[in-house]
Amino acid sequence: MNTGWLIGSAIIAVIVAPLIGGLLRGIDRKLTAHMQGRIGPPIIQPFYDVIKLFGKKPMVAGGAQLAFAYAYLALIITAVVFFALRQDLLVVLFILFFGSLCLPIGALSVKSPYSQFGGHRELLQFLAYEPILLLATIPIALKAGGFPVADIFKYGQPLLPHLWITFIALLIALAIVMRKSPFDISGSEHAHQELVRGVVTEFSGPYLALIELGHWYEMVLLLSILGLFWVTGSLWWLSIIIALGSWFIMLIVDNINARLTWSWMLKFAWGAGIILVALNILFINLGWM
Amino acid sequence: MIGTLVGLAILFPIITGLICLLIKNHKARGGVVYLTAAVLIISSIFFLRQGSFPIGYSPASTWDSVILVFNYVILACFLFVAIRDIAQRGVSRHNILTIALTLVAGIPLAIFEFSWAPHTPLEVTPALYIDHLSIIMCLIISIIGSLICVYAIRYMKDHEEHRMHLGELKETTQPKFFFFMLMFLGAMNGLVFANNLLWLAFFWEVTTLACWGLIRHDETPIAITNAFRALWMCLIGSVGFSLAIMFLWNGSSDSISLMQVISSGASAGPLFLLPFALLCLAGFTKAAQLPFQSWLLGAMVAPTPVSALLHSSTMVKAGVYLVLRIAPGFQGTHLSTLIAIYGGAVFLATAILAISQSEAKRVLAYSTIGNLGLIMLCAGINTPLAIAVGIMLLIFHAVSKGLLFLCVGAIEHHIWSRNIEDMEGVARNLPLLTGITIAGMLSMLVAPFGVLIAKWGAMEAASGIGVWSTLVLVLLMLGSGATTVFWAKWIGRFLCHSPVPGSAKTEPFIPLYHGILLMLITFAVVFSILIAPVYNSFVAPALTEAGYTAALAFTTGAWFLKSPIGIFAAWPIFIIITLALFIPVLTARAKPEASRSSYMCGENVEIGVDQFVAVADERTGLKTGGFYIENILGEGNLNRFVVPVGIVLLVILFVLAAI
Repeated sequence: MNTGWLIGSAIIAVIVAPLIGGLLRGIDRKLTAHMQGRIGPPIIQPFYDVIKLFGKKPMVAGGAQLAFAYAYLALIITAVVFFALRQDLLVVLFILFFGSLCLPIGALSVKSPYSQFGGHRELLQFLAYEPILLLATIPIALKAGGFPVADIFKYGQPLLPHLWITFIALLIALAIVMRKSPFDISGSEHAHQELVRGVVTEFSGPYLALIELGHWYEMVLLLSILGLFWVTGSLWWLSIIIALGSWFIMLIVDNINARLTWSWMLKFAWGAGIILVALNILFINLGWM
Repeated sequence: MIGTLVGLAILFPIITGLICLLIKNHKARGGVVYLTAAVLIISSIFFLRQGSFPIGYSPASTWDSVILVFNYVILACFLFVAIRDIAQRGVSRHNILTIALTLVAGIPLAIFEFSWAPHTPLEVTPALYIDHLSIIMCLIISIIGSLICVYAIRYMKDHEEHRMHLGELKETTQPKFFFFMLMFLGAMNGLVFANNLLWLAFFWEVTTLACWGLIRHDETPIAITNAFRALWMCLIGSVGFSLAIMFLWNGSSDSISLMQVISSGASAGPLFLLPFALLCLAGFTKAAQLPFQSWLLGAMVAPTPVSALLHSSTMVKAGVYLVLRIAPGFQGTHLSTLIAIYGGAVFLATAILAISQSEAKRVLAYSTIGNLGLIMLCAGINTPLAIAVGIMLLIFHAVSKGLLFLCVGAIEHHIWSRNIEDMEGVARNLPLLTGITIAGMLSMLVAPFGVLIAKWGAMEAASGIGVWSTLVLVLLMLGSGATTVFWAKWIGRFLCHSPVPGSAKTEPFIPLYHGILLMLITFAVVFSILIAPVYNSFVAPALTEAGYTAALAFTTGAWFLKSPIGIFAAWPIFIIITLALFIPVLTARAKPEASRSSYMCGENVEIGVDQFVAVADERTGLKTGGFYIENILGEGNLNRFVVPVGIVLLVILFVLAAI
């Protein structure tokens, strides 16, 4: 893979990812509305929202809040760039986590009970999904022979048949990252359960727009990681189906569940999620998969 | 030349420490500390420039006798202080255990030295063995340790003024304090150079003694109790040392040469693992691994520079140094695998326990124990990659943790509290200090800093060790998640304040605080940027000298660090993250007129006032707090599981070593 091509794909990723992310959010809202017997907004409503937010007067309620809103977006874009450059998957995740962490830190830097509540809960969400994502890189690397995304492309075979157990665990992590019910404890992706939206309570106007954009990037990056499970061979287009299918599952799960408690989420994520990936690693090490 | 340098590294600080004991004048004592720091730093750099490592060096044989005598003097000291404590405060678990363990450690050693050994003192050639691992340790001790001592000049002045103000203290006790601090540095240098196990055991005892003296320094009842706890727990390690020496003895003085012990490792016949297990036990006690963590947590009662010294460059680092040092001797055994699991368990348990702590120094202490657990995990995985990662973690942790303790100490001297809840919003009044502290925390936590690069390496190394890797990895990843939580929520407390109309208070720049903190954070950043050269010039040679194939660990290029199965593009990541994070942090400033109160359902009072309007228009204070989940994750709850798990793992360790 030549360098020029890689850099080109990174630039395209940075431009296209928010378009896909915004569109998915729009379709999400439309489908959810239909499932709930409503008509819902036009599917490009998220773009209208973000553009409108950018036009609002900036307001801040805490010292460092603003810097962390920028850093949130910038670091997640960095993670997307490193993914597009086919770098080490663990490194991509580390950068992503650094970015994701800016959101709760930004929320915690406002002296507001709601924002603090949301920030703390966001950290608990983080505690639930970070280990699953990190651990999930191990079976991928064991199969592909290395952690760089480039190695997964070189592997030449689809990963899903060997790693379907890990894939299920990743769906749990995806639901937590997307803040879908029953894992929406720090603030739902749709504001359908609350008037004061947890972790983003104190972000407004352009800063909320930055966070929304960052969230789109984050979602697309995670869906792309799921897509890696069938990225090579003649059926490479299955990766897109897998990513979109996972996204659609999240929608259904969101609409048939209610928010549960943080302790339940943590037990479920560490119990089911971690054990699934661990079993997958064990089976690979024993030569069964 | 080597003789002089060894003398400067080991004896000089001990002598200047003794001089400090005699000086009553604050300024003159400060001068001696400055001088010692300068000499240590310069001599450690000269050491580095010696070129051809490893170097074996044996001082005149008189020194063997000196060490022999002083070893028993120290043991007698332990007996004396314990008996004095019984006389003063009555019998307690701590002083009885101190007496018992001193005897259990001392008597076998005496039997060995005076009856078994063909001649007394027993000489081993070379007595000192200096390779890159020793030099790395020596640099950490001499540079970071010295900076901490210099910081302590100012800290102890403030500390004693405050205590005199409270009426807790009549006259200065600093001479004793600096005596122990400087002696500590000398003893540590001796410890990392020693090849003769008897010498190593001696320096080991000196560090235990210095640690005891520093923990009890404030002489409050709790300080004295905790000092004794540290003493007897570390004496368990000394027992391990004495027994290891007896097990290793086969009639030739080579059998207690550390280098011989390591290289003969696997070929040494039945029960060869037992001495290794005993030495590991010594390492675990010193590094405060489970179930010995309580001594290090108790040590938090000491003045903050002591904690900084214990955690970054001395004491606990001796524990991980020893285990990393002897790791080649038990490569590929079940013992090694178990150490990896043990380290992982320590890492996870302490990361979760740290979430429940509201005292700043206890959080840092748990983080230290966890990171040392991670180094143990690396030593247990025992591949070239893992050992390289372990050494890198040792370096980066020393810098960052030394920095963080000193930061907490400096903040403490502004708010006179170590409680994280009292640190709410300190960023408003102490922007520079808080900024450095947060940068230090990030250097423990996120890419592209060295600690994270090491974590990345540990994860990749742990993936390649077969069936047991599953368990090790699960422990590692869960621990990693919990680590993020306790750092992030602390950072959140620092930053939590309402927007201030008008300018904030200006923070006084105190050279001995801010200057040293800035120096350490610069180290953390520069070493992380220069990760490839740091690896090439320190870590890789250390690996080769220990008998590992350095090429199987990392390969480096101009801008990356490559493990056999991954790549960390150090330079590009550094540049991009700097752009992505620090530009907004440094430049993004809201206009004063953009400031708003936080959302209080419309019942706000006015901007910058932490109040809201309650019933009948009464103004009520607005309070926020951190989260600690103490009812679930608290020590009372978790230690019921954590301590038995530690004990069980240690028992299994010895069972594996004995079969």
